[in-house]
Amino acid sequence: MAKYADKIDLYNDRGQLFESKVPIEALSPLNNPAIQKIIAFVKQCVTVNLEGIEKGLASGEVGGKMCYLRGRSLKLDLVKNAGAIADSLTANLRVKPKDDTAVKVLKGGKHLLVTVPSSRFNAGVEYTTGVTATAAALCSTIINDFKVGMWDADLVHAAVWGRYPQTMEMMGGNVSSLLSVPQQNEGMGYALRNVPCAHIALITKKNAMNAAALSSILEQAAMWEMGDAIGNFERFHLLGLAYQGLNGDNLVFDMVKESAKSGALGDVVQSCVKMALEDKVIKPLNKSASGFVTYTTDDMNKWNAYAAAGLLASVMVTCGSARAMQHTPSCFIYFNDLIERETGLPGVDFGRAAGTGVEMAFFSHSIYGGGNPCVFHGNHIVTRHSKGFTIPCVAAGVALDAGTTIYTPEKVSGVVGEVLSEVPELREPLKFVNEAAVNVKGEF
Amino acid sequence: MANFKAQYYPGSTAISKNRRRYIDPNYKLEKLRTISDEDLVSVMGHRVPGEAYKSTHPPLDELGEPACPIREMVEPTPGAKAGDRIRYIQFTDSVYFAPVTPYMRAWMGHTRYRSADIGVLSGRVPLEMRERDLEKVAKELVETEVFDPARVGIRGATVHGHALRLDENGMMFDALRRFRFDKKSGEVVYDKDQVGVPLDKPVSVGKPIPEDELRKRTSEFRVDGVPFRDDKELIGFIQRIHMLRTMAGFDPNGVKGI
Repeated sequence: MAKYADKIDLYNDRGQLFESKVPIEALSPLNNPAIQKIIAFVKQCVTVNLEGIEKGLASGEVGGKMCYLRGRSLKLDLVKNAGAIADSLTANLRVKPKDDTAVKVLKGGKHLLVTVPSSRFNAGVEYTTGVTATAAALCSTIINDFKVGMWDADLVHAAVWGRYPQTMEMMGGNVSSLLSVPQQNEGMGYALRNVPCAHIALITKKNAMNAAALSSILEQAAMWEMGDAIGNFERFHLLGLAYQGLNGDNLVFDMVKESAKSGALGDVVQSCVKMALEDKVIKPLNKSASGFVTYTTDDMNKWNAYAAAGLLASVMVTCGSARAMQHTPSCFIYFNDLIERETGLPGVDFGRAAGTGVEMAFFSHSIYGGGNPCVFHGNHIVTRHSKGFTIPCVAAGVALDAGTTIYTPEKVSGVVGEVLSEVPELREPLKFVNEAAVNVKGEF
Repeated sequence: MANFKAQYYPGSTAISKNRRRYIDPNYKLEKLRTISDEDLVSVMGHRVPGEAYKSTHPPLDELGEPACPIREMVEPTPGAKAGDRIRYIQFTDSVYFAPVTPYMRAWMGHTRYRSADIGVLSGRVPLEMRERDLEKVAKELVETEVFDPARVGIRGATVHGHALRLDENGMMFDALRRFRFDKKSGEVVYDKDQVGVPLDKPVSVGKPIPEDELRKRTSEFRVDGVPFRDDKELIGFIQRIHMLRTMAGFDPNGVKGI
C-alpha cells in the first residue's frame, strides 16, 4: 500500500518517456534497488593510484606533496605488474569464493578500481572499511609480491596510506574513495553529502542530466540518513528527488528546452510558473490594487519540487549558455528572488536555497577566495544549508563548464572521478534508477 | 496553456512600477546617451580597443564537447563559442536616487541577459560574462536610463561612495577620482578606467540626469522620496514571503490555500 498517492512519468536524460505513472515511492532510497546499489557502490568502490605509489616509492615523496624522505627510495615496477597486483589484491580482499570482490586494471595499470566485498562491510559499522581494507590489503600485496623487507615496509605503508595516522585522513595517500573520513562530516548523516561536485561531474562524464541525478540521489538519500526526510518532510524530499534530480514528468528537460536557444534565467522562471499553473500545482489567490496576482497552493511540497526543477533548469540554461560553472550561486539567489516576486510563494527549500546562494557567491567570487564550484558539496560549510536542492545544480553547472577555471574538475578530482566513471550505475544513474523503479512499482 | 501573464514585481508605488518596468525584458530601456565601443572598452580596461579577444580555452568547435543532452540543446553565447575569457563590469549605485538599486541590477540582469553572472553587494554590483557578450550588455547598461553619469560609478576596485553625500556638483564620492564633472561641457568625464588606471584620452559619459528626472526614474525607496512604508502592497508581499517561508519550514503540509 502506497503511503503517498503521487505518480510520475519517468524520462531518460534526453527527454524521452521511459514509463508512465510510476508511484513516487518507487524512487525512494528506501525502496529503489538501483539507488541502494549506488549507495553501496559509493561505499564499496575504492580507487588506487598505482602510478602514484610507484612514483612515491621511487622518489621518497610520500605523505603529501613536497614531503620527501631523503635517502629513502624503492624502485618497484607496480604499473607494469598491475595485473598480478590486481590478482593478489583480489585474493586478499575476497571473503568467499565468487563473492562481489572485484579489482579492475585501468589506464594500462596506472589505476585500479577496487570493489571491496559487501561482507566486509557487514562485519563492521563504518563505511571506512572500503579504504582501510584496500590500503591494508595493498600493502600486504606489495610487500609479499615484491619481497619488500621490514626496513622498507614503512615506506610502502606511507606511499599507500599517506601520512595517516599522524593525520586524521589519508593525507597524500594513494587509496581513495568518494567518501571522506567520518571526522570530516559536519554532522550525523552527512557522509553522502561530502562528495565534491568535481567528482560528480567526472563520474558522469560531464553529462549534466546525469550529474544532477547522481548528486541529487546522494544528497537526498543523505536526507533520510540525517533524519530530515521523515514524517512531515518525507514527501517533500521524495518529490524533490523525483522532479529535480530525476527529471520526473520531464519538467527539467522541458524548461531547459523552452529557453535553450535564446532564453535567460528570467525566462526559466516564467516557464516554471506556467507549468505549475498548467498542472494545477498553484492557483491565483487574489489580485491587488496594482493588478499583481498572488498565487497560492494546496500542495507546498509539490510547489517546492517544481521550483527546484526550475532552479536546476535555470542553472542549465545560464551555465550552459556561458559554458561556465561560476554562475551557479547567482542562479540560486535570483531564480528564487524572481519566482517569489512572480508568484508570492516561497522559493526553493523555503528560502534556504537562496541563502545558500548568498554564501556560495561570496565564497566562490569574492576577495575571500574560497574556490570554484568544483570544490563545493553538501557538507561544505557554506553550502550545506539547503537540504539537497542546491548541490545537484552545482554538479550540473560544473559538468557544463568548457574550461574556464584554473582548478579544473580534473585537477580537483584527481583519479577518483575518472576511475569511478567505470561504474555504469554511477555514470548513468538516471537509466538504472528508472529501470529499478519500474521493477518495483508493483509493490506500491 | 494556462492563463498566465508575467508580472515581475509586486507593489503599487511609482518605485515599484519602475522596478517592474526595468525587470520586464519586453520594456525597451530608454537610450539617453551614446558611448562609443572604443570608449566603453577603454573604461572597462580588459583589452585595448581594437585588440583581439583573448581566450581562456579553445573555441568549442575545436575543443569537442562531451556527450551531454543539455550541451546539445543549450546554444552557447558567441563569447562562449569562441572561448572568451570571463570579464566584468562593476557598478556602484548611489543611495541618492540612482536609477537602480544593487538588487535591481541582478533582477533585471537575469531577466534581460542570457548567461549573466551577477553578484550584489551593498556598494558594488559585478556583472560577469564572456568578454564579447559582456561588452554588448555593458553598452546598454551605460547608454540607457539605468545609468546616471553622476550617481552611478563604473568601478572595479575601491568602490566606496554609494552611501556618502554628493559633492557640490551632485557627484558621488570616488576615492580614486576616476570621474569628474567638467563644468565647461556640463558632462561627466572618466580620466581613469574602472580600476583606476589612467586612460590615454578622457571618456565622456554625458550629462548627469537632472534631479527631478532622476526621482521619476529611480527604483530606490527613500524616506525623502517615496518611502518603502508607503507601498503597503509591497510590504504585504515581503511579510507574506517571510510568513510562508517560516510556516512551510515548520510543516509544509500545514500550508494550504494561504
